[in-house]
Amino acid sequence: MPRRILIIDDEDDIREVAALSLETVAGWDVTMAGSGAAGIVKALEQRPDAILLDVMMPVMDGPTTFRELHALPETTNIPVILLTAKVQAADQKRFSDLGVAAVMFKPFDPLTLAGEIAHALGWTDD
Amino acid sequence: MSDAAAIIAARLAELWRTSRPSILERVAALHAAHDALFRNPEDAEARSQGREAAHKLSGVLGVFGLPQGSELAFTMESLLMSGNPLTPEDVIWLGEQIEALDAVIALKG
Repeated sequence: MPRRILIIDDEDDIREVAALSLETVAGWDVTMAGSGAAGIVKALEQRPDAILLDVMMPVMDGPTTFRELHALPETTNIPVILLTAKVQAADQKRFSDLGVAAVMFKPFDPLTLAGEIAHALGWTDD
Repeated sequence: MSDAAAIIAARLAELWRTSRPSILERVAALHAAHDALFRNPEDAEARSQGREAAHKLSGVLGVFGLPQGSELAFTMESLLMSGNPLTPEDVIWLGEQIEALDAVIALKG
């Protein structure tokens, strides 16, 4: 059964390219949300195997969305990978300290993104 | 090229065509921020808007095969997010980076 990934990002182009990458390279099932609030709803409905979460989004940013997901018993155990444009070292540490499964950086290579996610999550059979 | 690589390359070319207008809007936001900062280097709103546009461009351009564009955007973001007041030289440098970014995007078409 393919992995199910939820991508939460307010940028259409990033969502589309990430979904293209994960579906084409790894054969995973991908669903998408364009905001933190919509992402939480989809996470509750679908209980994905992992969530790829953008950091900088309007209204509810990535760290706030992560805290909400972590506070909900239905989604607290879903691994979350923060996806952010290149940041300064202090921000990188701040994101890592949130307790997310991993922090990954844009721009990503569409051909290697799935492998990097699988590696970060210890999905050795992918 | 593997099947997956060929599929992704073809789809990326399509996505570039649909994404290009929004990318150019972000570049226009950078130009507007630069113009405002040229008039007033202490314009905090312009600095914030320029930083946000640079951050978004830093994340997206490399995905479409423009790593140099991402690097240029990141260096601009780094300047704009630093706590230091902008000097006239900083603003001139910013304008040069934006021109270089224009050229990188124009080359891709």
